[in-house]
Amino acid sequence: MSNWFRNLPLFWALLIAVAGFLGMLIWAWFRPKAYIYQDAPDQRWWRDLRIWASLLMLIQIALYVVFGT
Amino acid sequence: MDIRGIDLFIVVAYLVAIPIFGVYFKRYVHTEQDYFLAGKMLPWWVISMSIIGTNIGAYDYMGAAGGAYRFGLAQANYEWIGAIPAMILSALLFVPYYWKAGVYTVPEFLGKRYNTAVRVIEAILWGSFLACVLGVFFWASGLMLNEYLGLPIEIALIATALIVGIYTITGGLAAVAMTDVVQLLVMFIGGIALTILGLWAVGGWEGMVQKIIPSHPDHFKLFLPLDNPTYPWAGMIFGLAIVLSPAWWCCHQAIIQRTLGARGEWDAKAGMLFAAFPKMFIPMLVVLPGLLTLALNPNLVGADMDKAFPWLIKNLLPAGLAGLVFAAFMAALISSVDSTLNSAATLWTRDIYQRFLVKKASDKHYLNVGRILTFAFLIWAIIFAPVTKKFPGIYVAMQTLLSIFQGPTFAITLLGIYWKRATQWGGLAGLIGGVCISTTLFLFEKWSFLYVAWWSFCGSIVINIIISLITRPEPTDKLQGLVYGLVMKDKTLQEILSKRAKGETNE
Repeated sequence: MSNWFRNLPLFWALLIAVAGFLGMLIWAWFRPKAYIYQDAPDQRWWRDLRIWASLLMLIQIALYVVFGT
Repeated sequence: MDIRGIDLFIVVAYLVAIPIFGVYFKRYVHTEQDYFLAGKMLPWWVISMSIIGTNIGAYDYMGAAGGAYRFGLAQANYEWIGAIPAMILSALLFVPYYWKAGVYTVPEFLGKRYNTAVRVIEAILWGSFLACVLGVFFWASGLMLNEYLGLPIEIALIATALIVGIYTITGGLAAVAMTDVVQLLVMFIGGIALTILGLWAVGGWEGMVQKIIPSHPDHFKLFLPLDNPTYPWAGMIFGLAIVLSPAWWCCHQAIIQRTLGARGEWDAKAGMLFAAFPKMFIPMLVVLPGLLTLALNPNLVGADMDKAFPWLIKNLLPAGLAGLVFAAFMAALISSVDSTLNSAATLWTRDIYQRFLVKKASDKHYLNVGRILTFAFLIWAIIFAPVTKKFPGIYVAMQTLLSIFQGPTFAITLLGIYWKRATQWGGLAGLIGGVCISTTLFLFEKWSFLYVAWWSFCGSIVINIIISLITRPEPTDKLQGLVYGLVMKDKTLQEILSKRAKGETNE
């Protein structure tokens, strides 16, 4: 595996990481609303855990774009 | 370190206050569930802070600062790409199913999903790992108390056992989680104070960058080239982010146990997810000090690089703040020790004692067994701690052993939750086959543990799928509440499981 990757430029690391973060963000939004709010005391927007996950992923993308390579 | 009066006062006050605060929660412990799962009453914010308190140990301060001194910002990958996506995965996929299953441990869940053999293998692995790690943590704590307060090492070990044992034995998970909240606050206050003073001393962020970049041009890059022996980017992404990190955040008993004590499914998920926010700031506490030390003193070489954090404390902090940072250091250690102690007792009580030795005893009986085992692990840790001095590689060996199991464990847990066709024999073969692959790669190919984790994970997935497809499917009744699709499509079942997890029904 190492040999195959050795030919890839470092920029690929950033691309794969950002694609992974975006993939995780999209995956979170595919969780049904009822599943996300299960057992929640109410259905206020800030209890939507998909928003929390999106925020986390957007911060990660920003950090890796700035410091990645 | 020359500790001054005000510092001594802060440290002693902290060490006395923590057990007093923890013992307060004894009043809520009447049953086994109260003891091991905090009576299923933990709110999301306590869970999240306890998770981070458990996750960050004194070794992180020392090791991460040393790693940052050597390799720069790449060390932060362990807190960012090596944690945050996995925490989201854990919160939105794994935690709700553990919680709904009404289990106390991750091996117990795997036992329900697959079979007893898988449960026993996982329980013995995690139980042994946590017991050995306790000894290492105790020795580290003893050394710190010895070095900073001048206590003889034997007295320091007993003092650690007293501080942690008093509230862990009496108050169980509730006491552990609530003290973790306080300890995390102390960690953040001490760590931020150190970072601010350090940045002030080097002329701010720009000043630090200008001092480091000329001699270490890659120190502010998160991804390092493939020829870097420690942090090659492919290993970071495929080994750490895709396998080791999810294995840690989705399958580690001490981490998951907090979410199992949640007062509801939403709190369990939110607790894990919210923990990712403070986790993002951890590099400020453990990575930045390493870079600050490099900017202030680039002359540390070899093993001395691991002393980057103590160097900064010793040379930068005024009276009062040194005590605060030392208290933060102790908080990191104690919050990991109490969680490990509580989780080790939970595993051995539920998965070994209750499963094989005494199956149908009263609730009070298992509560007492839990307390006795917690006490026994304390004694074990005091006795075992000095052994770690004679074998300095023991912690590394334990971590290596864990990484051999982590890829296969994550593989069978992931398939178990996401693929209803995975059978008990597929799970068992996937676990054993994956461990054989990782052991072979370790012993004969001498690969980095990051690559070993990736290939053992892939191998375990393939073996699980093949064996599952050629063996008889599991009956649907057995899988109810354990597999993603089956629960999602059935609202009535969701409600039944939710009530069962809360202890409102025995269905």
